[in-house]
Amino acid sequence: MKIAVMSCIHGNYEALNAVLSDIDDHKAEQIFCLGDLVGYGPHPNAVVEMIRSLDIPTCQGCWDEDIVEGLNACDCSYPSLLAESRGKAAHAWTDQQIHPETREYLAQLPLTIKEKNMSFVHGSPNGQHEYLLPDVNAFTALERVLSTGSNVLFCGHTHVPYVRTLDQTKMLVKVEQQGQKDAHYQFTPSVRRIVNAGSVGEPRHGRPHATYVLYDTDDQLVTIREIEYDYQKTCADIIEKGLPPIFAWRLAQGLEFAERADDPSHVCER
Amino acid sequence: MKWAILSGLVGNLTAYEAVLQDVQQHQVDELYILGDLVGPNATSEALVKRLQNPRKGEPTPQICTGWWEEQCLILHAYGQKPEPTALIEKYGAEMVKTLWDAVSRETVTWIRSLEFGFMELDCLLTHGSSVSVADDLRPDTSPLVMCDRLGRLDANYLFCGRSGLQFNYQIADGSSTSTVITLNGATPTTTMETSNKFVVGVGNVGLTPNLASYTVYSPASGQVNFKQVSYGFGKGFGNRKAS
Repeated sequence: MKIAVMSCIHGNYEALNAVLSDIDDHKAEQIFCLGDLVGYGPHPNAVVEMIRSLDIPTCQGCWDEDIVEGLNACDCSYPSLLAESRGKAAHAWTDQQIHPETREYLAQLPLTIKEKNMSFVHGSPNGQHEYLLPDVNAFTALERVLSTGSNVLFCGHTHVPYVRTLDQTKMLVKVEQQGQKDAHYQFTPSVRRIVNAGSVGEPRHGRPHATYVLYDTDDQLVTIREIEYDYQKTCADIIEKGLPPIFAWRLAQGLEFAERADDPSHVCER
Repeated sequence: MKWAILSGLVGNLTAYEAVLQDVQQHQVDELYILGDLVGPNATSEALVKRLQNPRKGEPTPQICTGWWEEQCLILHAYGQKPEPTALIEKYGAEMVKTLWDAVSRETVTWIRSLEFGFMELDCLLTHGSSVSVADDLRPDTSPLVMCDRLGRLDANYLFCGRSGLQFNYQIADGSSTSTVITLNGATPTTTMETSNKFVVGVGNVGLTPNLASYTVYSPASGQVNFKQVSYGFGKGFGNRKAS
């Protein structure tokens, strides 16, 4: 069975349409979405309506949570103070624009979806705000996968797609316990994988194209898809709707945060 | 240098006095108490006063919050959670009033000033783990979970008290191989290794009737010694067993 997994659409209706067409072309039998339907982009309601109309199983992302709970629900999503101020502007705009039924839909989304030996989350099994970067400590990465009880963990949030295979894990454990015989054992979990679906609507891999992944449950083959679309139309809509123009600029570049160097040491402790 | 590490007093002043006597025989340099000072009982207030006022020649305890302290903070609207859900789930709704009556507002105000834990040398000392006071690390916890809790603060030793058990859990050796594929292709395979990480359950002072337990740790040698102290009528205040 071939499935498609997408994430981080961020109100980019043009990108979503292009990805759905590509999924259709590849005859995926099931689509999963890892959240962040809204935020940054100019068409949050249209994106939610599309996802709802197609009945796509969807997890709640950090932006979806923030729109429901208020921005303080965010642990930290901004790498700099400048990024934070622009993020707040985008939040305020999105909060004002979305329809009550959109908010209700976002509020009831689950944090985790489980399907056979696969789990689907936005950030990590620990929450929507944790970044599972491709170079995170291998034992930590493995712990996140095993905590779901699945063999494959699909996540998003970083906006850069990757497939990480964790293999040949061995851990020698010795336990002394008062009143018990000492225990020695070797912990050897089987191979596990983390698949990051990238971002449909706000890519950060250096190009403006949308990304998502196809996964074949029969042969476990993962294909990272990069889809060209008319991103300039989305950029024009961002500016026309009065969102900060930096969002159009970075969408056109496929960059993470143009202003990252302004205050790289900032760690939000909200 | 020696540290005495205690947890789980739960208002048991008699047990604490017995342990304190035993601790003083071991010439410790630091006394850490990893939370659960108070409990749903009438002696919690007296115990807190005793901790706040060490006698001449006694070590001054360094104290962090535990699970029971967190419940007190929640009851007095100082906690991060609005409702004492965990307390009710574990002990029933009547426990809310019992705990409210047992621990005064003045004590709760003092509890607010306590640390979540201590990071000394390469050791994290906390009630639960680097995740929360409720995190219950045990001898059968997965080594990956242990690695995660240690790795969050880059510690080699984690001393905890949530389980109430005494155990020394060593990840003697570990490795894992990773391959990452991105849009730019596969990156070289890497192998991560780890060794000699420890999670130590320090025991409990006041939970087990007539038998208190605690841990002495020597940072220079890495030696962990579990101590047990009998106390109460007919038991004496002697050291029952040491390893």
